[in-house]
Amino acid sequence: MLSYVAQRLTLAVCLLLAVSALTFSGMNLLGDPLVNILGPIAADTKNPNSIALIEAAEAEYHLDKSLPERYVRWLGDLVRGDLGVQFSSTGEPPVSNIIKERAPRTAVLLVMAQSLAVLISIPWALLAASRARRPADRISTVTSFLLIALPNFALAVILKYLLAIKLGWFPITYTANDPFLSRIYQTFLPALTIALPAAAVYQRLLRTDLITTLQEDFILMARAKGVSKWKVLLRHALRPSFFSFITVFGINTGALIGGSLVVETIFRIPGLGTTIVEAIIRDDFPVVLAVVMIATSVFVLVNVLVDILYSFLDPRVKR
Amino acid sequence: MSQTQASLRGGPEPLVSVRGLRTLFATERGLVRAVDGVDLNIHKGRSLGIVGESGCGKTVLSRSIMGLLPSTAHREGSVRYEGHELVGKSVGSMRRFWGQEMSMVFQNPMVSLNPVMRIGEQIAEPLRIHLGMSRSDARDTALQLLEEVRIPEPKRRLRQYAHELSGGMRQRVVIAIALSCGPAILFADEPTTALDVTVQSQILDLIAERRQDRNMAVVLVTHDLGVVAGHTNEIAVMYAGKIVERAPTNELFANVKMPYTRSLLRSIPRLDDDPHTRLHAISGRPPDLIDPPSGCRFAPRCAYARERCHVEAPPLQPTENPDHVYACWYPVGSAEFFEREEELVATGVHVRGRQ
Amino acid sequence: MTAARRGLGFGFWLSISWLIVISLAAIFAPWLPLKDPGENYIVAGARPPYGPSSTHWLGTDQDARDVFARTIFGARTSLVIGFGAISFGIILGGTLGVLSGYFRGWTDRIASIVMLILLSFPGLILAILITALLDRGLATIAITLGILGVAPVGRLARASTLVFAERDFVTAARAIGSSNRRIIVRELLPNVVIPMAALSLLGMAIAIVAEGGLAFLGLSVDEGVTWGKLILLGAGTRDLERAPWISFGPISMLFLTVLALNYAGDRLRDYFDVKDITL
Ligand code: SF4
Repeated sequence: MLSYVAQRLTLAVCLLLAVSALTFSGMNLLGDPLVNILGPIAADTKNPNSIALIEAAEAEYHLDKSLPERYVRWLGDLVRGDLGVQFSSTGEPPVSNIIKERAPRTAVLLVMAQSLAVLISIPWALLAASRARRPADRISTVTSFLLIALPNFALAVILKYLLAIKLGWFPITYTANDPFLSRIYQTFLPALTIALPAAAVYQRLLRTDLITTLQEDFILMARAKGVSKWKVLLRHALRPSFFSFITVFGINTGALIGGSLVVETIFRIPGLGTTIVEAIIRDDFPVVLAVVMIATSVFVLVNVLVDILYSFLDPRVKR
Repeated sequence: MSQTQASLRGGPEPLVSVRGLRTLFATERGLVRAVDGVDLNIHKGRSLGIVGESGCGKTVLSRSIMGLLPSTAHREGSVRYEGHELVGKSVGSMRRFWGQEMSMVFQNPMVSLNPVMRIGEQIAEPLRIHLGMSRSDARDTALQLLEEVRIPEPKRRLRQYAHELSGGMRQRVVIAIALSCGPAILFADEPTTALDVTVQSQILDLIAERRQDRNMAVVLVTHDLGVVAGHTNEIAVMYAGKIVERAPTNELFANVKMPYTRSLLRSIPRLDDDPHTRLHAISGRPPDLIDPPSGCRFAPRCAYARERCHVEAPPLQPTENPDHVYACWYPVGSAEFFEREEELVATGVHVRGRQ
Repeated sequence: MTAARRGLGFGFWLSISWLIVISLAAIFAPWLPLKDPGENYIVAGARPPYGPSSTHWLGTDQDARDVFARTIFGARTSLVIGFGAISFGIILGGTLGVLSGYFRGWTDRIASIVMLILLSFPGLILAILITALLDRGLATIAITLGILGVAPVGRLARASTLVFAERDFVTAARAIGSSNRRIIVRELLPNVVIPMAALSLLGMAIAIVAEGGLAFLGLSVDEGVTWGKLILLGAGTRDLERAPWISFGPISMLFLTVLALNYAGDRLRDYFDVKDITL
């Protein structure tokens, strides 16, 4: 078991190294890194302020060194939690500070979205599977198909229009200074936007697995024991059907990270999505790099955790 | 019908009495008559074998008596358990009987235990549902049950999963679960088919022992007459959804009437056979239960069939022994039977001297 | 079994018809009797946006431009991006997958590592990274989104190649002494292409949606209109409040197209899976 965990973690670290090396060299090779960091200031070699910034940037990012060396240094800084200095004429705080302030909002959004998706999909799948191929199930299949075909930004616009503007159930704006609970409330609609299509994906998968499981002999055996219909579904059918659900949950997290960045900008939540958009507009590449690295690391780690969790949960997996 | 009734007499009030039971499944191709008018009595503490090829409806019959059917199934007729009419009862009210009054052991213990639930949990479940036991009481009882079905190291097994146990052991666990609430009747559906030959008789002996000391009725469903020979008091032979012969076990083996039963008997391998004796497999397959043949349903495969067999269905009729009934126009021992037998031997289809 | 014999079904052909109609409309947009997508149809005395009417079926946007015409013209860019992306993904991923499935060994190992790394990027992030660094021309966007498809396509191509490489007809071709290239082109490719067609429909849907996502991040094509950019234009709270049609016009077009692509792809996949088993 331990060796399995170690093996998975090693693979994850290797992947992260490869991904970061790729991202870093992409950042540095495509175009002039100085321009990438400083934007238009880099060309402004007359202004003493710019020259100071250019020199500071060259020193901070060791631009005189070779690419591999710079990568190693950057990696070293990254491990120590230093994502680099942000250079802008407005004197924004260092990248790490921005990330520290904004990443939690994205994290809350994602966690809420995934929890909602799971909370919606499980009862939905149980309902559909217990009425397999009957009208209720067919309606649910069509609904999930429609939801999956609806892009998250379109769903965001629709939900915003219906639930926030027309019905007024949810606030439209996110206020970063509000107390935590009201921010949770403000995050609900964006989270729902991400959660609904995800729930549809999970539901489809879980329903299929449940229907297969329900045909197993041990289900008949459970019925023969006198276990009630819902207990058969919950205690006997759900658990063995859960494993591919968990895997897809992990893989889907990646898609949701990308989606959450988009949804964030629509609902104007100042999280990582908004950060990256602003950074791209400003050509603030260290920030872009940082956000990409964070998103990718979370994705890789979630997948490893899911793998490990899987082997813990399924007694049939040989350890 | 009156004859049938007569043959179902006998001693005390039966535990379960089945009359005119039909079980129909609605499928895309049409109505499948898996059980088509069955009469049976099951007595306390006694053991009944239901025998037939696969696809003849014997599994459906046992599940139909118990009411354990999918929602596409429809039951007609009557099943009385200790005076309660079970046909027409809702699944919800049947649940009181399942696991407590009647329980079932399934064919393949590899798939009849939940793979992700500990053994102890699975045995405890009916105890907690039906007997309202506390968690710890249920565990203690589960331990006793595992001892009762003679599983080595029972304590350790409680915490194990099905895949950690051998096939024989799993079937013992299934039996322990079936016995847990002290049922009055145990259905065992091909309980040994999926197991090693060496384990088979142990499992059958185990069931027989528990039957005796719990005074429980056992219905043993199997395709193998050899299995029921030593372990049942009475045998009902099923073909195409109907009972075609029913008799006390000894009587049946001594005095078989129905050609179908006889073919089943001839297909049991015997110890005194020459090593290379060909087994008499019955040629052909059981008929389609959507559109069964008119007349005797065995006629298309019966070597003794005559004109009448294809037109008119033979009713169940008693022999000199009123407990022995059969449905055949030209049974073993009749003049027509011998006449045909001579022809078959003459043409070399049959070898004399094997029955 | 019976479902497969019934053919691809009415829904499949309906989806295909929609895809054909929207593609034709996109291709021939400049010659169709549409309003000019760039023209500002200001009505004297009223401030745009104008609601749907007989002149502007889906209304106009804030600059009094016709939403319907712009949606059809948006289809041009969106469909080209979707088609370009999946073509790129299929050509690169397909080559990678077929080669690695056919030659195994080192080719396979290297290809697998490349795919693994590609799959480690969460969906949109890779696209954000590339589009942030490069100029955002049509080709860049299409290729970027195509890169997202390389790994999934590669995996499928590899898997189907492995299956087919074991089949008799490949062994037979080998025995006759055909060259590797000949075997791949003549025998293998046609069999890998079928499941690939289903995947490409699904992939095109994903690419079209992903473009929308990029548009909302300000990373879609600089020039021209796409569905994503059109939806974004009306997505602000005030615009949604007073002129929901600006967003909802292109949303419905995008939704129907993605729906059709998904449904057709799903049906094709199910249909050929069944046939695959009976092969
Ligand atoms: S009734 Fe006729 S066909 Fe049926 S078993 Fe007897 S002899 Fe054979």
